[in-house]
Amino acid sequence: MRVTDRLIFQGATTNLGRAREKEELASQEAQTGIRVNHPGDDPGAAGLIVTHRVEQKRFAAIQQSVGRASDELGSTDGALDTVTNSLARARELAVQLSNGTYSANERAGAAVEISGLVQSVLGALNTKVGSHYVFGGNKDQAPPFDPAGNYAGDDGIHQVEIAPGVYQAASVNANVGIKGSAGGVDVIATLQALQAALQSNNVAGVQASLNPLEQSTSQVSNMRAQVGSSMNVLDAATAINKASSDSATSKISTLADADAIASASNLALAERSLEAAYTAASKSFQLTLVDKLR
Amino acid sequence: MADLLSILSQSASSLTAQSGLAATASNNIQNANTDGYSRQTAVLADVLPAERVGGAYIGRGSTLQTVSQSRNRFLEAQLPAAFSAASKSSAESATLSGVTALDPDGGAGLSSALGDFYSSLTALSQNPGDSSLRQAAVSTAKALTLAFNGAASSLNAARSGVDADVSGNIATVNALAQSVASLNAQIAIARASGGQPNDLLDARQKAQDQLATLVGAVPIPDAKGNINLSFPNGQSLVSGNTASTVAAVSDPSNGGHVALTLASGGAPPKPLLSTNVGGGLGGELAARDGALKTAGESLDTLAFDFANTVNAVHQAGYGLDGSTGQALFDTTATSSGAAAKLAVDPAVLGNPGKLAAASSAGTLPGDGANLLSVIQTENTALSTGSNVSATLSNLTAAFGSAAANSATVSAHDAAISANLTGLRESTSGVSIDEEMVTLTRAQRGYEAVAKVLQTTNDMLDTLMSIKST
Repeated sequence: MRVTDRLIFQGATTNLGRAREKEELASQEAQTGIRVNHPGDDPGAAGLIVTHRVEQKRFAAIQQSVGRASDELGSTDGALDTVTNSLARARELAVQLSNGTYSANERAGAAVEISGLVQSVLGALNTKVGSHYVFGGNKDQAPPFDPAGNYAGDDGIHQVEIAPGVYQAASVNANVGIKGSAGGVDVIATLQALQAALQSNNVAGVQASLNPLEQSTSQVSNMRAQVGSSMNVLDAATAINKASSDSATSKISTLADADAIASASNLALAERSLEAAYTAASKSFQLTLVDKLR
Repeated sequence: MADLLSILSQSASSLTAQSGLAATASNNIQNANTDGYSRQTAVLADVLPAERVGGAYIGRGSTLQTVSQSRNRFLEAQLPAAFSAASKSSAESATLSGVTALDPDGGAGLSSALGDFYSSLTALSQNPGDSSLRQAAVSTAKALTLAFNGAASSLNAARSGVDADVSGNIATVNALAQSVASLNAQIAIARASGGQPNDLLDARQKAQDQLATLVGAVPIPDAKGNINLSFPNGQSLVSGNTASTVAAVSDPSNGGHVALTLASGGAPPKPLLSTNVGGGLGGELAARDGALKTAGESLDTLAFDFANTVNAVHQAGYGLDGSTGQALFDTTATSSGAAAKLAVDPAVLGNPGKLAAASSAGTLPGDGANLLSVIQTENTALSTGSNVSATLSNLTAAFGSAAANSATVSAHDAAISANLTGLRESTSGVSIDEEMVTLTRAQRGYEAVAKVLQTTNDMLDTLMSIKST
């Protein structure tokens, strides 16, 4: 092949350009740690990254949502614990003071304690997490129980998404569990009735409150069981969603991120190639008859 | 008989021939870096007929017979197609790789915005009465619409950029076509007077190459020595000494983007389809009306389907104020331009309470059942047959494939073009070494002939001195 000067310079331009481009790409990859910057870098990976990114955000959001629901259920359980303890104390007083040996004054004193327990129960049942009253059902933006114990909430039960398209109850129905709307007893009314009986020294009334107190305790226990069950499901869902979110993150990383060792190696190789191209080009530029004819 | 005076006369001719050799080498050296230049070779010949002296023939020196060009027609015939293909695929690849609208980036892309939108609905579904969560959900919906708007705008800007580049290059195309037509005429005149106009041929070849690179012009030599040029589909650009005129017009059927027309000889302009243009402009037009257009249309369809799917579910729910039938997204009547115009409905944007989270008016404000149904739209099959994220994924992968394919083809075409250019350079290019040798050869020859002249002159002096004594 006949080699002309332009051929030498054109070859050097082309080859140096290619070597420089490879070095630049390798350097960019090593600096950013990202392998897929443009869909054209790896079309299949770019498409999958899109899907995994949506997945990752969804699982992270579900995990966060499940975490919040779990916290709310924790608060719900705490409130129900207060109710349970109050009912236990009320029953204790009712059993004690249903005995005829106690005086009217002693019963009046107990009535004051029961009144305090009612306030404590109402306070617990108006527990608020953020802007949301956990016992209000769907009417959760205002206190569900008024000072008289009337219920302003409804039967709504909040559902939380624990996996895409899968839901779990994340609240309890206070209308059923506390107000006894489905054939049960009204927990607050029961306490109030006990208080009234004690206040009026009505021993029969005090004795009559024992059964409703028993039922109230049972209803609240059922609610706590539901809460516990939901918390168990949410705990499992938190772990699963964290694993799914991590998995999506890992997949994105595998698809989009550069292998650090391979990047460093490619960069070293590209630099070596560029250096060799520089040396070869400068050598070929030096070889000319013009210099020898002087 | 051979006399001393005729030797002097022959030497003068031979000196001219050696000068011609030196001048040709000098011209080659001076044009060593000129694009399109083909090296020239001075052909020396002995002067015929030889002089008969007695029974012998004595030569009459040398003369410059011709100056020829070193060209390989086989290679040159392949070059326009190679230039056109390399330029086309390179331009298409550069155009597509310059579009960042669908980059699978980490922060502000469509996929992130889509994930954020559904995530905010998940958070809100837990506490639909919370005004800050409602505001956050509306904000992510707005961010999603802005991501759609941005991607559509970016794709459209890339297409408009092609329009600007094509329009800007049309004057060059017309000037080059006019130049080839003019050179056809000049070459015909020069040849009619008996010469070989090497420099005009080089200039025409250079213009041909540029037109092949710009629009994929195909050269068609005719019997008269003209080079006619046509577009790859056969529409004539240059015929003999007449050039057609390319013009850019707005094409309403293609969103107002630039379309080309071709006019010749005062006839009304005819459409020049973008698919019939090769070279760099053809590559840009191919990107504009191919992958970029497809991506834009797919994005519009995705935005349209997504907005309507979400709206259909959202309209069944109830806002905090008890209103129902409220759309979440404001979209176009058809998919055309949907991505660019997608917006959050102004009523919802102004009052996040209108986000229809509840499934009935009686379950307000804490009911998030309808929101859960809206969230389910992420799994609803759109008109593409896939759900929203899979459709976006397919769209991204399809655009990526087009960009990757054009990059691969570009590298392949560039290698072929570089190889052919190298081969042509090998035949027609100037080697400084060779020309230095030729120059030195001419110098030596010139010196030798000058010596002949001097010797003959000395001989004449000798002869003259004999006569005078």
